[in-house]
Amino acid sequence: MTAPTIVDTYLADLRAALGPMTLDTREEIVREIAAHIRDSADEYGDDASSVIARLGPAEELAAEYRDGLLIRRASRSISPITLLRASARLATKGISGVVVFFVGMFGYLIGGGLVLSALLKPVFPANTGVWFQDGRMISSGTQLFPPPPPAHEVLGMWYVPLMLVLGSLTLLVTSTIIRISLRVSKRWQLRLGRLSHAG
Amino acid sequence: MAKFRMALNKDDSPDRWEAQLRKGALEMAALASLWKGRLYGLEIIRFLETSSRLVLAEGTIYPILNRLKNDGLLASEWVEAEAGHPRKYYSLTASGRERLREMAEAWSEFSQGLSRLLEPVLQEKEMTQ
Repeated sequence: MTAPTIVDTYLADLRAALGPMTLDTREEIVREIAAHIRDSADEYGDDASSVIARLGPAEELAAEYRDGLLIRRASRSISPITLLRASARLATKGISGVVVFFVGMFGYLIGGGLVLSALLKPVFPANTGVWFQDGRMISSGTQLFPPPPPAHEVLGMWYVPLMLVLGSLTLLVTSTIIRISLRVSKRWQLRLGRLSHAG
Repeated sequence: MAKFRMALNKDDSPDRWEAQLRKGALEMAALASLWKGRLYGLEIIRFLETSSRLVLAEGTIYPILNRLKNDGLLASEWVEAEAGHPRKYYSLTASGRERLREMAEAWSEFSQGLSRLLEPVLQEKEMTQ
């Protein structure tokens, strides 16, 4: 009937390639695919290797499962890493994904920079701040060479809470933009399946 | 109706567009196959083949079923079968039925519009033949 070694190898590959899912999810997927191989082989009187050939490489099958999970998890997450990973995946599937990815990168860099600068203010008080000269802003952030007088720093230690709030807001807005894009793409995917094909 | 074939190789460019199109319709088709009752994966594949001539690579349907289940549109249960091993049966949840209704309406509107648009193209083809 079936050659168990081929099936075992295939299922082991699949299990390994499913990677970071919960044990239950992974085993359920493997169990379902195992049942499919048996049923399909019985139905056609095929050997298991033909069924496995029809299923395609274990890595590709696992990637289809992982994509769905990643995008689903990310659309509920606020972690920049998870969100950027999901938008990077989205970026492989079309131009709108690329835009989302770069907006995400840009937003996180600016937000992260603002927060970092706020934290640097107590350490380098003279080098960090917002400088004004002749009534307009000429420089801001953490500078190796702060602008010389007559430019003067205007915020003092208010810089810390202000930049923390501004930076956090930027991070939050960026996360929200990515999450909304992922949700929209998920709905879009459900209707037209643009994403369902691994890129 | 022509019998469609799913392109297995994604670099198979002439078939790529058609493969994408068909794959896009697949989630709706998977939901629709469960309209009348529960089925397991292989039955869904067979049902789609016989009722809509949608021929699938066998590995395609399972990640889609998994996703639809995670979205709460499908429920699943393991049922012991005569075959000697249990099978995972899928059925529509209430929100799955609701979503399928919406999809069916949107799809029907969309495809009617496109058919009208393509009418002259197809007519011209008939005339030149």
